[in-house]
Amino acid sequence: MALDATSLPSLKGAVSDEEWDTRVELAGFYRLVAKHDMDDLVGTHISARVPGHPDQFLINPYGVLFDEITASSLIKVNMDGDVLSDGPWPVNAAGFTIHHAVLSGRDDVMCAAHTHTVAGMAISSVEGGLTPLTQKHMRFYKSIGHHPYEGIADDADECARLQRDLAGHDALLLENHGLLTCGPSVRSAWALLYNLEKCCQTQLVVEATGAELVTPSEELCESTRALFQRMLQKPGFGNLLDAWESSLRLVARDDDSFMH
Amino acid sequence: MPLDLSHPVPTIDVRAAVSPEEWEVRVELAGLYRLAARHGMTDLGGTHFSARVPGLDHHFLINPYGLMFQEVTASNLVKIDTDGEVVLHNGFPVNPAGFTIHSAIHMAREDVVCVAHTHTVAGMAVSCLKEGLLPMTQHSLRFHNRISYHDWEGVATNLDERERLVRDLGGNQTMILRNHGVLCCGRSVPEAWRGLFALEKSCASQLQAMAIAKATGRPIKFPPESVAQGTSDKLESRHGKDTVSRDWPGQLSKLDREEPDYAQ
Repeated sequence: MALDATSLPSLKGAVSDEEWDTRVELAGFYRLVAKHDMDDLVGTHISARVPGHPDQFLINPYGVLFDEITASSLIKVNMDGDVLSDGPWPVNAAGFTIHHAVLSGRDDVMCAAHTHTVAGMAISSVEGGLTPLTQKHMRFYKSIGHHPYEGIADDADECARLQRDLAGHDALLLENHGLLTCGPSVRSAWALLYNLEKCCQTQLVVEATGAELVTPSEELCESTRALFQRMLQKPGFGNLLDAWESSLRLVARDDDSFMH
Repeated sequence: MPLDLSHPVPTIDVRAAVSPEEWEVRVELAGLYRLAARHGMTDLGGTHFSARVPGLDHHFLINPYGLMFQEVTASNLVKIDTDGEVVLHNGFPVNPAGFTIHSAIHMAREDVVCVAHTHTVAGMAVSCLKEGLLPMTQHSLRFHNRISYHDWEGVATNLDERERLVRDLGGNQTMILRNHGVLCCGRSVPEAWRGLFALEKSCASQLQAMAIAKATGRPIKFPPESVAQGTSDKLESRHGKDTVSRDWPGQLSKLDREEPDYAQ
């Protein structure tokens, strides 16, 4: 029998209530990525800081498909790379580098997510990256970082350069590689990742036509970006727009094992 | 805040509180949400479909804010007035800003029963093309000389934009919202579905054909204008007949079998 993440003993009660809630939400995030075909076998990773322990974060057990990840199978590590939880799976070394870089460099970030989708890899490989095409794109207008590719990210030296390239942003094009988003909550990182993915998918088909485009003015791009930013600063904003609980209920309807 | 995944239920018996005519529209509109979800036309909790409540009250039904389309039911649709104010409280919130586009059209167009707005990839993509929707396939000829364009003005929270939305829509049922998405109205809910479905396929196929034409230099072929107009006219003449959306009863019976809670 292959190892099955869903059969691990539950950590509910063994970890703090806050950590358990974060584990459930983060496992739900992995399931949503799988449900939206944004996964890449066992590659890529999503992390969340452990509440009350800013120097610890949760990340996927390397080797488990995203649609099998559970709250109890997530691995807890500290910023030195020490594994603080028991389990049969290791942490992906590149995953540690990337998420350690984001979470140790940014106190405001609770969750960071990285994908290798077709659309994300394509846009990350094109000079200029994201084009401000639609209302949805304006969330990222002049506010997405670019990080040049350095090879598999298992070199700790890359941390400082990742932090430099992400500085001031909550989205990053990992050039020739994929996408990364981060946010002050698990749900906000998910909503941002979903929207960035849709922007990349849209841009691919628009620009492949080579046709003349309707291009929004710089003023409109800028004012919409500012509007989105103001909205995001309102406490609780986006908590309905992202339909987070509803999305997770839909996941649970098919398979609620992420909550175990 | 701990995660609360309890399933929200209406606080009142909506079916008992509304007319049979309203209930029928509620079931149809909830069905439209479910069909759109099945066809990948969702954008998390964003975008809305609305329907006019039969009668003279200028009341409308819209989706409860915060739910994915897959969780919309006849009873959790929220009844609002033209200002987006809730007129029948069933325990669910609405997004008044999201109703701006819908209310503009509902106020100006008595013939429109249903207004559906989406942010699909193909719809957003065609909304960025200067030439817009091309009269390329049988699916897209439905919209030939019957589709409007509205320039993007930023997030549609400005009530002044209402008059420009109405002006741009004119007498059409379908409008491309430039740099934003698409809007499909219907003189019935099934007609809005037919528009959403046909427009989505039209946009997606046009984008692929344009990419081939660009890459190979082999141009897109277009039917002669007389054929294009004739097809558009013929499809329009089906308005009010059951052929407007021949698939609709079958679609609803599929939902009845596979996700019957939509009609509750």
